[in-house]
Amino acid sequence: MIRWPDAASAGRRMALLVLGALVWEAAARSGAFSPLVVPSIARIGRELWWLLVRPESLADAWFSLQRAIVGFTLAAAVGVALGVLMGRSSIAAACLGPIFSGTYPIPKIALFPVFIYLFGIGSLSKVVLIFLECLYPIVVTTHAGSRAVNRVLLWSAANMGASRARILWRVVVPAAAPFIFAGFRIALPIAMIVVIITEMISSADGLGYLAMYSLASFKTDRMLAVVVMIALIGVALDWLVTLLRDRLVFWEKLDSYYAE
Amino acid sequence: MGAPARVIGLALLLGILALWQLASSFERPEFVQSPLEIAGHFVDALRSGELLPHVGASLVRSIPGFVIGSLIGVILGLLAGVARSLDQLLSPVVFLTYPVPKIVFLPIVMLWVGIGDMSKITVIALACFYPCFINAYYGARGTPTIMVWSGLNMGARRTQIFRKVVIPGALPFIFAGLRVSLALSFILLFSTEMINARSGLGFLIRQSESSLRFDLMYVAIVAVAGLGYASDQLLLFVRRRVLAWHEAASR
Repeated sequence: MIRWPDAASAGRRMALLVLGALVWEAAARSGAFSPLVVPSIARIGRELWWLLVRPESLADAWFSLQRAIVGFTLAAAVGVALGVLMGRSSIAAACLGPIFSGTYPIPKIALFPVFIYLFGIGSLSKVVLIFLECLYPIVVTTHAGSRAVNRVLLWSAANMGASRARILWRVVVPAAAPFIFAGFRIALPIAMIVVIITEMISSADGLGYLAMYSLASFKTDRMLAVVVMIALIGVALDWLVTLLRDRLVFWEKLDSYYAE
Repeated sequence: MGAPARVIGLALLLGILALWQLASSFERPEFVQSPLEIAGHFVDALRSGELLPHVGASLVRSIPGFVIGSLIGVILGLLAGVARSLDQLLSPVVFLTYPVPKIVFLPIVMLWVGIGDMSKITVIALACFYPCFINAYYGARGTPTIMVWSGLNMGARRTQIFRKVVIPGALPFIFAGLRVSLALSFILLFSTEMINARSGLGFLIRQSESSLRFDLMYVAIVAVAGLGYASDQLLLFVRRRVLAWHEAASR
């Protein structure tokens, strides 16, 4: 039994998406625009299928995904370690805090040409830049989370004879986990942005390159199919992190987008 | 941050620069330059007028993009936070497209509005929209019901409650969103300029890199860093002014 208010709200939820698709298709079919500017959804879908069945374009997707994931994972490991260290040690906070807060607003992307010279034009320069851009949000949120750990928990763990390392791993990290995952969710889209940007600027493979290449060869429908593919990867990665979060931080429900 | 932390931070920064300077006295490739050399080049570029026009070109793109994107984001976010039907209309689309890297729209926007400044402003505005919308949305939704009730009880109209209760309550969130948007606007500004532009700091970095003018490349990088840092400080200053009550309450 579908109640009317539910159906109405479900309809409103889909309204904008459906409307957008209809307007797009109408514009494409009206003949007012060249198919180069507004290709029809059917053509984009065909190109998307073409991308999905061809090994070369799947390899491009894999290159992009690999760079994003390697850079992000490194940033997650180093960022959580640094954040916990800064949260639980005043010396580390005094030394590292000013460096992070001072360089936080500086766009790291400007260093990309230097990285190309230092690490070559291949994947390494891109991975390093992704690492650097992802590091900041993870360090900042982990720092905040590990500072906010309930003191009673720390005292009771110490009282029961836990070593410092054990307290960090068994008490501080789980207590800071909601914050850490908030940082991950900010960092992951950044990793996707940076991988696409760097591939657009200088690369011979990856989805960013494929998008620019399709545009340069006037294949707008293919370019839009690449855009859809990038979007799907972005949504899928975000969904994975949320799934992992709900598994690991099962005691706290995610009701706000940023778990603060 | 207290005074001692500032001193330690400054000392650390100077230490790193000194180490860098020392390390540069050894034999090194041409693309590694010492801090003193970079400072010298910076002054030269300011004098010769090679830098300032590009700074201007970048600001002409980033400021409208940031202002338009974050303004629309804040307004729609606040409205979606208080109005159920608008929430149901907008939020699914916003949250679905949030993890999509907005830079992918650059090629298609270029196709629609041309490769000039307009395409860059549009992409920057699009990227700035999201953090502002999401933060304003949660800020408005987080308004304590008690405050709305007491407002209503004292005879406030809906618009009054929106202005006097919802907006002030959401302001800390809005500023958090603005800060993220500001950082994003610079990332997108420089990358769109690196991808295609004939002016601007991103263009200058690319151009000088490919013509092996490493002096100018570092000058542009320093300018980018300075611009990012200065605008963030400006935003924090405005926040301290606007949110004086909030800072005082949390201290």
